[in-house]
Amino acid sequence: MANNKALRREQWLRLAAVIALLLLSFTILIKVENMLVSFLLAFVISYLFNPIVSHFERMGFDRSLCISVLFLISGILIGTIISLVSPLITNQLQNIQSELPKYAEGITSLVAYVEDRLSSTLSSFYDFNLSQESGALFQSWIGSTLSSLPVLAQKTFTTIILAPFFAFFMLRDGRNISRKLLSMVPNNLFEIALSLTHDINEQIGGFIRARLLEALIVGLVVWLGLGIMGFRYATVLAIFAALTNLIPYIGPLIGAIPAFAIALINQDPWLTILIMTSVYAIAQIIDMLFIIPLVVAKIVNLHPVTVVIVIIIGSQVMGILGMIISIPATSALKLTVSTVYNHIVGFRVS
Amino acid sequence: MGKNKHLDSHLWQKLMVNYLWENIFKRDAKNRTLTTILSENLLFRKLSKKELKFVENIVHERHYRADEVIFKQGEIGVGMYIIVKGSIDITITDTDPTGKAPTKKVLVTRLISGDFFGEISLVEENGRRSATATAAEDTLLIGFFKPDLLEILERSPATGVKVVFELAEVLGRRLKETTDKITQLRNEIRLLADLQKEKGESGK
Repeated sequence: MANNKALRREQWLRLAAVIALLLLSFTILIKVENMLVSFLLAFVISYLFNPIVSHFERMGFDRSLCISVLFLISGILIGTIISLVSPLITNQLQNIQSELPKYAEGITSLVAYVEDRLSSTLSSFYDFNLSQESGALFQSWIGSTLSSLPVLAQKTFTTIILAPFFAFFMLRDGRNISRKLLSMVPNNLFEIALSLTHDINEQIGGFIRARLLEALIVGLVVWLGLGIMGFRYATVLAIFAALTNLIPYIGPLIGAIPAFAIALINQDPWLTILIMTSVYAIAQIIDMLFIIPLVVAKIVNLHPVTVVIVIIIGSQVMGILGMIISIPATSALKLTVSTVYNHIVGFRVS
Repeated sequence: MGKNKHLDSHLWQKLMVNYLWENIFKRDAKNRTLTTILSENLLFRKLSKKELKFVENIVHERHYRADEVIFKQGEIGVGMYIIVKGSIDITITDTDPTGKAPTKKVLVTRLISGDFFGEISLVEENGRRSATATAAEDTLLIGFFKPDLLEILERSPATGVKVVFELAEVLGRRLKETTDKITQLRNEIRLLADLQKEKGESGK
């Protein structure tokens, strides 16, 4: 009996040690500046590269060598792409910057117009003062964005350096690290911890790869469509659409807003707006037809209501980043709960 | 009559489980290291030294104190264990199908160094453990689980195929031995029934 008690205490201690270690890592990620974003990006890179590394490993190459060569090649590739595309982007960004006052004014007048129309019909119910409020809000937003630009640039630079560094070691030693961590797990929870680690890993890997493929396809379709139309800032708008597409449900809408705002402010003909709408619609249709089945197959099915609630929580806790990571995080949580439930409760029924 | 049939099937089940857990691949086992145990195991015996080294970095070394449970009957099984040092008791909880008698633990077998158990879980989807495994003394085990097998297959398919083939052979042999045992038992039962019949007739 005493032996049993000692055993139980040891199991609890081991579990506490594992949880403490995980909590410590999590705190470091949250509290240390640049760490969370760098780490998440590193995760994305490592999940993206893992199938390629495994492929070459299957052919008999050394894993570390594969990773080094892959990093070297992708570094050169990304460098070349950036040097090719960056003049285009810089040019477009400079254009946007020079035309920013015009757009600020345009948006304010657009809001004023809407306000005018609304107050003419609803004035008896509500006193609108949107244009002044939104004008001030917009000015302050632009001001804060411009002033925070150097900090943002420095943060981006740190992330760009740190993320591949972390990703390299995740790819090379990730398995050993998780094995070490698993070896600390108490015996009574070992099997469940192992299968859970494996399942979550598979699912998040699949999710990240599918999501990135999705973003890439949406970006490409928007870029091609707007490019063929000869629409302004096609590259920047395509990159924006691709990035916002990572946010489920509302992302595609957010991604399309700037293009429509630009078209409305410049008072482009209706035909242009119609073609533009179809470009964004085609991108979404391709996304739905080819990519969604892939994503759905890879991820635990979450109810649309759950998805929306989770995204809102994510946005309130961590902003845009929170919106993007809320879905895989929830799926991991759901998987954990259902696996633990099956393991512990399920067998009593059988 | 119906009740008898029920009891019969229960008896069958017990015998089957018994046989399933019995190690039919016993070797003489004394103090051996983790590597030699792994290389001597049926699943890994066809692997080269390099492949064994690779597998060694994938499997898990687990230490159990005396009386510590490795897994419980009815839990979802994730993989198999190989005994490096110590011994393991395999028990089943025997529930009376009529619900009258209390449940009791029945020792099926004691496994020793070099033996392995739970390999069916490697190929079963969400299969439940059909018995409970408890360490009879302080025991060192090698854990080899489904995710590990998948990792071997992903990273080195040639090694993985060798392991899977041996696994299939082990499972096939278990099936064959079990079938033989069933045939033998059926014959014995038939014999017993005949004897009883004769007894009944002579009694008349």
